[in-house]
Amino acid sequence: MKNYKFYNIVILIFLTFILNGCTETYPLITNRFEDVLIVEANITNELKKQEIKLTKSAKFEDEGYLPESGAEVFITNDAGHQYNFSEDAGKYVSTIEFQAVPNTKYQLHINTKDGRSFASSPETLTTITPMQSVVAAIEQKDDKNGVGIRINSFDPTSTSTYYRFEFEETYKVVAPKWLPTKLEWNNGSPTFEPNSPVTKTCYGSKKSLELLLLNTNNLKEDRVDYLIRFISDQDYIITHRYSILVRQYVESLAAYNYYNTLNKTASSGGTIVSPTQPGLLLGNLKAVNSDSKIAGYFDVCSVSTERIYFNYEDLFPGKFPPPYYTDCTQFCYAKEPNNPIPCTHCCHYAEDLPYGKIRYFSGDGTSSVTTYWVDAPCGDCTTIASNIKPTFWVDN
Amino acid sequence: MKKFLLAFVILFSFQLSIAQNSNEKLSITFKDETIENAIKRIEAATSYKFYFDPTWVSSNKELISGVYNDATIDTVLNSILSKTDLNYIVLKNKVILTLNSTIHDTLPSNYFSDAPVETNQNNGNDQSDNPVFHQQYDSLNSYSVTKKASIVFIGKENKDSVKRNYTVSGTVRNEETGKVEQNIYIKVRGKNINTSTDLDGNYTLQLPRGINVIEVKSLSHKEVVRTLMVYDDGKFDIGINEKSNQLDEVVIKKKGQKTTETTVSGLVSIDIEGIKNVPLILGERDILKVATTFPGIKTTGEGSAGFNVRGGKDDQNLILLDNAVLYNPQHFLGFFSAINPYTAKKADIYKGSIPADFGGRLSSVFDITTKNGNPEKFSGEGAIGPITSNLTLSTPIQKNKSSIIVGGRATYSDWILKSLDDENLKNSQAGFYDGIIKYNNAINSNNNLEATVYYSHDKFSLSSDSIYKYSNRLASLKWDHTFNKKSKGALIFTNSEYKFNIDYDSNDINAFDFGYKVNESQLQAKLNYQLNPKHTLSYGVASKLYNISPGYQHPTNPDATLIATDLEKERALESAAYLADSYKFSDKLLIDLGLRYSFYASLGEANVNTYQAGLPLSDETVTGTTHYKKNEVIKTYGGLEPRLAARYFITEDFSIKAGYDVTRQYVHLLSSNVTQSPTDTWKLSDSNVKPQTAQQVSLGLFKTLKDEEYEVSLEGYYKKSKNILDYKVGAQLLLNQNVETELLQGEGKAYGVELLLKKTTGRLNGWIGYTYSRTFIKLDSQFSSEIVNNGNYFPANFDKPHDLSAILNYKFTKRYSLSSNFLYQTGRPITYPIGTFQYGNSQYTLYSDRNAYRIPDYIRLDIGINIEGNHKIKKLAHSFWNISIYNVLGRNNPYSIYFVTDQNGKVKGYKTSIFSIPVPSITYNFKF
Repeated sequence: MKNYKFYNIVILIFLTFILNGCTETYPLITNRFEDVLIVEANITNELKKQEIKLTKSAKFEDEGYLPESGAEVFITNDAGHQYNFSEDAGKYVSTIEFQAVPNTKYQLHINTKDGRSFASSPETLTTITPMQSVVAAIEQKDDKNGVGIRINSFDPTSTSTYYRFEFEETYKVVAPKWLPTKLEWNNGSPTFEPNSPVTKTCYGSKKSLELLLLNTNNLKEDRVDYLIRFISDQDYIITHRYSILVRQYVESLAAYNYYNTLNKTASSGGTIVSPTQPGLLLGNLKAVNSDSKIAGYFDVCSVSTERIYFNYEDLFPGKFPPPYYTDCTQFCYAKEPNNPIPCTHCCHYAEDLPYGKIRYFSGDGTSSVTTYWVDAPCGDCTTIASNIKPTFWVDN
Repeated sequence: MKKFLLAFVILFSFQLSIAQNSNEKLSITFKDETIENAIKRIEAATSYKFYFDPTWVSSNKELISGVYNDATIDTVLNSILSKTDLNYIVLKNKVILTLNSTIHDTLPSNYFSDAPVETNQNNGNDQSDNPVFHQQYDSLNSYSVTKKASIVFIGKENKDSVKRNYTVSGTVRNEETGKVEQNIYIKVRGKNINTSTDLDGNYTLQLPRGINVIEVKSLSHKEVVRTLMVYDDGKFDIGINEKSNQLDEVVIKKKGQKTTETTVSGLVSIDIEGIKNVPLILGERDILKVATTFPGIKTTGEGSAGFNVRGGKDDQNLILLDNAVLYNPQHFLGFFSAINPYTAKKADIYKGSIPADFGGRLSSVFDITTKNGNPEKFSGEGAIGPITSNLTLSTPIQKNKSSIIVGGRATYSDWILKSLDDENLKNSQAGFYDGIIKYNNAINSNNNLEATVYYSHDKFSLSSDSIYKYSNRLASLKWDHTFNKKSKGALIFTNSEYKFNIDYDSNDINAFDFGYKVNESQLQAKLNYQLNPKHTLSYGVASKLYNISPGYQHPTNPDATLIATDLEKERALESAAYLADSYKFSDKLLIDLGLRYSFYASLGEANVNTYQAGLPLSDETVTGTTHYKKNEVIKTYGGLEPRLAARYFITEDFSIKAGYDVTRQYVHLLSSNVTQSPTDTWKLSDSNVKPQTAQQVSLGLFKTLKDEEYEVSLEGYYKKSKNILDYKVGAQLLLNQNVETELLQGEGKAYGVELLLKKTTGRLNGWIGYTYSRTFIKLDSQFSSEIVNNGNYFPANFDKPHDLSAILNYKFTKRYSLSSNFLYQTGRPITYPIGTFQYGNSQYTLYSDRNAYRIPDYIRLDIGINIEGNHKIKKLAHSFWNISIYNVLGRNNPYSIYFVTDQNGKVKGYKTSIFSIPVPSITYNFKF
């Protein structure tokens, strides 16, 4: 069976190349980098100092994003007004407070310090549709129990249609194994010190990451009932008191399409079954007299803002609170793991303590086998949240 | 004959003195006696001895009577032999009889006249001075008389003959049946004398005295050559045999029309026998791969299923197998062609000047026809290669009338994979097979019937949890009818189906089954009418019904949270009528004037979206849906498609051709992948998707050199197209109910120059093709979401400016040949991620302008050696071995480059190559 063997070899070669493919990483050559101006400009009907963010696109290997500084930024409207913006801490802030008003066309102009100039197409304020309510209630999603935060709004004129949402949640965190005393390792020996009370209670905060979009096209009425946030009842952030600030923007169709496409391209590549077409997405901003590239959207939209609070007992009276951020079982250190049993960690606590990985729980500190510890977040909330109480925070 | 020669030998070698007048006189009386008896009596009465062949005299039944007194032997013999063909000579007391011929005792006076013959004025009217010898050994211009062809003597040589021509007549009969044969052509070699037999098989020829070589010719009979020695008027009957079964093999070599001669300028004809020498992947013969080595026909990449002909998209090619559309002509993502090379007869690829009877695609027609079965005997052909094996069998059903050919091909990789120990490979799948059956029946001289059934199936899994399957099925029935000498027609019915299926069978709760199907049926009538020698008309009608199931996704797990999706079916009717005139204006100028009118109707049952006027199509601008009942017309399109082509001979072997054609296409392939993949779906035009149109002008120069050994052509084209399909950024095409919202329709522009140098014969043969071409597309709109690259023209996915192919074969001997295949192509354009940007609270990948960059160039060299089996006539099977190495240079040509954002938000680039090392293979081919 000499032939059989030969076939085998060839097929193996063949299959190696076809099935597993000869896939190798392909260097992303960044000399192809193009400096593209990224514009985030949301002008709303809220009377305030409006903000515009200008950043530069970054190379793949860059750590952060540089602001485009030194640019001249202003907005004109068809009533002949000009609103100037001045640079302030990486942002451009309008020199005066103003708000977008209906039936007026606004246009954004940007002149960068290296001489590129851009202008947006004229945009008008979208329909003003305030939220009717933001409600937190027990809900089920994907077979999980939790809290659903829903936005309700209604536009009887049916002209709003396209919505974008943002939220910013803030929640109280209490370190469950916080002790008034702490153990420090000084000059090769343990010493007890009083623990700072500010490490017991903190406030965590998160912003919405994705673009949250909704359209009411296929509905009979322009009515929003949108689940903006779902929190599992096993999520520690609702253990004590939780607050969420939601913003509802009414978008134009073009802006909505822009955000929608941006969302789709974010999950780059897609799958083999449904790949997406990559490309540079064009918004309503264009270079004047040049081919310079610009991304982003000059969005003139109405906004409505609402903040709500709830406590765990309000929604889950008499129920056990959800587990903490991390497992807070105490443990000790031993040469051999689990000898004795609670000593799940290796060697000596003095090796972990200087890195802030652990917090003291019990024992006198002389023997690593009889001194108990917990993971840092259990005894110190500042490791996962901020101990500065937000200015807006209202207790109960 | 031998005796006759012997007579000569005796005559000349013994140098006998010849006495013509003997003194011996005799008196004898014959009364009703045979010549034999008469001779015996003369011998008894005199001292003369006779030498002759007894059959000469015994065959002569004539009885002799006569009284001779004191007569010389001459007198007696002249008298008794006068009515026979016998001559005599008297040498002393020996009498030698000869049949027909005379023995001359002196050489004629002009015998040695190599110099201009001295005209004998005195005897000008008497040509008998010059005797006739049938074999003039010392003559320079001797007749070449083959060994077998014996000389036939007509009449008796008569020294006193004065006639210039003699009448030879006879009857031509079939030797087997004995029947007379009429209308058989008889000619005399080297002389302007000929005739044909009459109804009774009789002929009459006026032949000059002496040697005449007559040839009896007829298409249906074996040629007969006879050498006649004409001495006098006479009779000669000829027996002939029918040609069939008499010859070992009849090789009819059809010489195709010269490329300089046809009007079509952008035609590539592939000689399927000839491609066996081209080295290809793993020894697989592949017509379509060979096609891509000709100028103007490209693929997007190695292993890509689509073709780009003269800057056309890969859905713009009409691929016909026996008149039926083959939707996916490739196996295994394009590594192998789905066309069985052993059953295919020819492939004609029209890149331009598409004849008016073809329609429905913008850029090209691949017209592939299958061989008819061998109507005489059972025969077969096959190949054993490392990946596939191939067997073709053909058998007559009714001898010389109807036959069937069956071809099949299959991979055995699947079977081998399963027998392997490696767990990874064990779970992999890769397999395909295809089969074709063609039936042919030459009912009578006016009617011919052909039927083809074809099926191909592919199955593979790229990842362990999903299995891809796709299949082509087609059937074709063709009835050719000849109305009269001038008018012919064909009625063709075809049906094609293409479907694919993805079985996502992971342990995931949301395992699903995904599928797509397109089906079309066409009825077509094609007619030809030869109006007069200058005008040949062709005309016809065709109508095609499409049925498309654009997709379904069904969860396979009853607990799945995935919702079953079924997209609504699409239907449409595409019809066309055409009229074309091939007008031979003069010997130099030939014009093809064609006009096609196509009409398209999108049909219900369907729910069609209506969109807000003045806004871009998007899911959000749907204002409502309109319901159409079954067969209700939703939207119609139509238009004229002129097809013009002309050829003008500048010199006999140098012609110039020009063409102009308009084409329309009503179906579109949705493929946001850069290369065509089996999961691309076909979409019918409807109220929201317009049909594509294209116009092409082409000009070509064609020249043959050295008695057609070399062919050179230089062709140029410029093409503009409208409503070319492209996709919005972020387009998602599969299972999208409102797929039109993802589509853009733009303008295309393509131009190019194609140079081909071909050597068809000789030890070194092959071709070199070079193309410079550009293809652009423009997507502009009033809406920013529909603008790509600022609304400027940008290179299309398949824009590859430089393309060089060289296919060369060198025959060392009749058995050994070396072939090589060299390809160079500019890398195709790609949309490249050039950085990242932050927007809101997220990070996004920044892409370059669409198709702003290019992947590395494609370079490949393959080498193959063909070893033919021995050339013994009698053996079981003809065979040859093909040993080839694919990608000898081992160049790591990219198949695809893609970018993936990983969990950390980092973009990574990957390059996939398919055969990045030289891949050897060996294939055994046989034929019986």
